[in-house]
Amino acid sequence: MQAMHQILLKIGPAAFRIASAWRQPLEQLEALYRDYPAPPDGLVDFTVRLEPGKPWRRHVRPSVHIGGDFWLPDAAPLPLSQGLLAGEMGMNLQMALGWRRHLLLHASSVEKDGQALVMTGLSGSGKSTLSAMLAERGWRFMGDEFALLSLDTGDIVPFPRLISLKNKAIEAMQKVAPADRFGPEMTGTPKGGIRHLVPPRTAIDRMNESAKPALLLFPRFGHASALRDMGQSEIFVRLTQASTNYVALGEAGFLALVRFVERVPAKAMDYQSIEQAEELIESLWSKLP
Amino acid sequence: MTQKYRAAPQDDLIWHPLDSMTLLFHRPSGITHMLADPAPAILEVMADLPLTAAEIAVRLTAAFDLDPNPETETIIRARLAELSDLGLVARVPV
Repeated sequence: MQAMHQILLKIGPAAFRIASAWRQPLEQLEALYRDYPAPPDGLVDFTVRLEPGKPWRRHVRPSVHIGGDFWLPDAAPLPLSQGLLAGEMGMNLQMALGWRRHLLLHASSVEKDGQALVMTGLSGSGKSTLSAMLAERGWRFMGDEFALLSLDTGDIVPFPRLISLKNKAIEAMQKVAPADRFGPEMTGTPKGGIRHLVPPRTAIDRMNESAKPALLLFPRFGHASALRDMGQSEIFVRLTQASTNYVALGEAGFLALVRFVERVPAKAMDYQSIEQAEELIESLWSKLP
Repeated sequence: MTQKYRAAPQDDLIWHPLDSMTLLFHRPSGITHMLADPAPAILEVMADLPLTAAEIAVRLTAAFDLDPNPETETIIRARLAELSDLGLVARVPV
């Protein structure tokens, strides 16, 4: 067996070892995560392994199989040109399947005035793009994929990974963020065109600063601008669906989620442009107690 | 029908009312149940006693100041069957 290359990354409370049969994905990850600290003492929570599904696939039409502490048996391998994406997907997978220290919500989050705005929704709702855009407009970026809800304090803990921009969001963000924060453009991925964006420096520097959740939004892109009240039962059900580890956490997860639903005001938000969404968000934010 | 039912022990349950529903976390199974009326009220009046549907109907009528209704017992029996499937009540062996 040939030696694996590896890098160590600390992102918020989680530390990863990314090991790869090829150097290229790690060089790309290293460049994009250049401002992130290394895990103290080199200890990691999870290992992600990027390796060929079959030995000859290391060199012949190299294809990257995502392995690690947690993996999915039916995950399709990616071409080596998408090795960076495989690394990111591998880290997502470890968190989704293995993290137990917080309630994981499939949501983006940003912070202002010490309080967090949490946005959750299905793929395509725009939660990732909204968080990236708000981060360029005075908010602190806390994460675009997972919001970590503290089981003890009920705070949102930052997990400011690279922002995964898809399709039209790439162009929109290129207008507001400097070129040196973008990763390589990957076309023809399972999710279309993808380009990663390094979060603003302040998001990385302050990635250990939690924030009290103050507003929960369920954004939906492509519908006429509107805000809608939601019942607590609907909110609770949708958040259990948005959580990858609610069942695994048992009673602790139940208590954390109940507290979140009780305390955090929530709205469904329809919008057709970033400007519209920002206007709606600012109007809600200014009325918070 | 003299079938008696017993609710899951109170220590096994965490109750949390939401707007229109009641959440019930069942510790032994780790399952969260979301119950609509009158299921939570049925569990509440059962306390830890083995009761028939008729006895539960009497308790519900008294506890919630309801007018006696011949259909109450039928409704309760249907809910008890559902709660039994969920593991939140058990049929007491005769």
